[in-house]
Amino acid sequence: MENVTGMTKTKKTHRPLSWQRVLPWVIPVLIILAWQVAVSAGWLNSNLLPSPLAVLQDGVKLAASGELMKNVSISLFRALTGFAIGGSIGFILGMANGLSKVSRALFDSTIQMLRNIPHLSLIPLVIILLGIGEGAKISLVAVGVMFPVYINTYHGITRVDPELIEMGKAYGLSKRQLLAKVIFPGALPTILVGIRYALGVMWTTLIVAETISSSSGIGYMATNAQEFMNMDTVLLCILMYALLGKASDLIAKALEDICLGWQQTGRSEG
Amino acid sequence: METTLITLDRIGKTYGDKTALHDVNFTIYPGEFVALVGMSGGGKSTILRLIAELEQPTAGTITRAQADLVVRVMFQNDRLLPWMTTLDNLSFDSHDKAQQDKAKKTLASVGLKDFADQYPNQLSGGQKQRVALARALMADPQLLLLDEPLGALDALTRRNMQQFIGQVCDQGHLTTLLITHDVDEAARMADRIIVIKNGTNVYEAAGAKGQNAETVAKVAEEVLQVILRPDDDPTQVEAVAARD
Repeated sequence: MENVTGMTKTKKTHRPLSWQRVLPWVIPVLIILAWQVAVSAGWLNSNLLPSPLAVLQDGVKLAASGELMKNVSISLFRALTGFAIGGSIGFILGMANGLSKVSRALFDSTIQMLRNIPHLSLIPLVIILLGIGEGAKISLVAVGVMFPVYINTYHGITRVDPELIEMGKAYGLSKRQLLAKVIFPGALPTILVGIRYALGVMWTTLIVAETISSSSGIGYMATNAQEFMNMDTVLLCILMYALLGKASDLIAKALEDICLGWQQTGRSEG
Repeated sequence: METTLITLDRIGKTYGDKTALHDVNFTIYPGEFVALVGMSGGGKSTILRLIAELEQPTAGTITRAQADLVVRVMFQNDRLLPWMTTLDNLSFDSHDKAQQDKAKKTLASVGLKDFADQYPNQLSGGQKQRVALARALMADPQLLLLDEPLGALDALTRRNMQQFIGQVCDQGHLTTLLITHDVDEAARMADRIIVIKNGTNVYEAAGAKGQNAETVAKVAEEVLQVILRPDDDPTQVEAVAARD
């Protein structure tokens, strides 16, 4: 009989070494330090490229006046609303086309055609149709987000191991159980890749939309500051986008860790 | 007349213009361990898929002792759901207390009580197949189908698993159909061996379950000779099975 009593149990996950946590921050910190030194020493023109300290001071000033929070809030609202609408449509279409041959035959060809149109090229059309209000910016974000979520959901569903589906059928699972216990969890890793990619598209689209046509938001702040040659605020806006993008990525990563924890489990030596 | 569990009568299966099975006839009786042996591509797995109702025959009839006969398959690869723990793989993540308790009990019966919270990628090949066996046993099947379940295992684990599956089937008085291309495995585990060749059953022999190594080797050699025989004249089809 196979000896099972001596098998290695789950390996404890070791906390990463401290240098592994520090290392990713070394290059950004060095760049900022070099930048500060270069501006302070007069090697760079501070009117064209203000020092990190000046950008920070500008950020504190705008935060104190409430302007920063107001613009960040409106940008976040647009991004998340557009993401929720576009992501939901992409997810529902991806599920429907992945599961139903009729739906696939009806929608997929059209979606593939539309997917190849760069969504930012729709800006002039959207401005004419919807003006420069919230609807226009949210629509652009929704269109940009929809396709990566759609394509990854669709591929995730269609590429679930057919042997697992057959096993589910052989073991008497109902259609609903098959979807909940086998198909959706099998597609989830691919769906989450789509969501993570879509979060990047979300910010890119919003930046462009707010820069071209807006009277509020971080993009508007940057464009406005550019007209007054206020380089502190321009750099602050870029920094805000970087921070919001990083925050989105961290949330997506955390979601992956929660939903796909089983992929991280160690292997026994048996 | 002895009760039958399942009877295949002149079964045929074609895929387009390709014939996978023709004129397959045999009966499985309650409580026996039957092995279907033959070379790869001979049609063994197609027969299993028809019995499991994963496919339908294009000719002939399969008669079951009852319409709702509980049949479970243990596949060649374990087909465990990698996102579920071992225990959840047995109960399919059911929240029903009775199902969970039964899953724990079944897992313990295959010697993996302490591995309930492990994921499949934390188990060895032999352990995964034990979990797959436990999952098949969860429904108290009236017919257990084993589709070359040990093919991917190393020789030692394979031998251990042969013994283990034999014990489980004996203790539970399980009617079992084993698909294998390993004649030694068939001779060692089965009460009866059916040779499948070129899409039909060509030979039956009594197995050597529970008998000494010499008898096992003799039966295996006899079956091997049938498999390797160049032509199968229908008039040579023999029925050496103990049952009549």
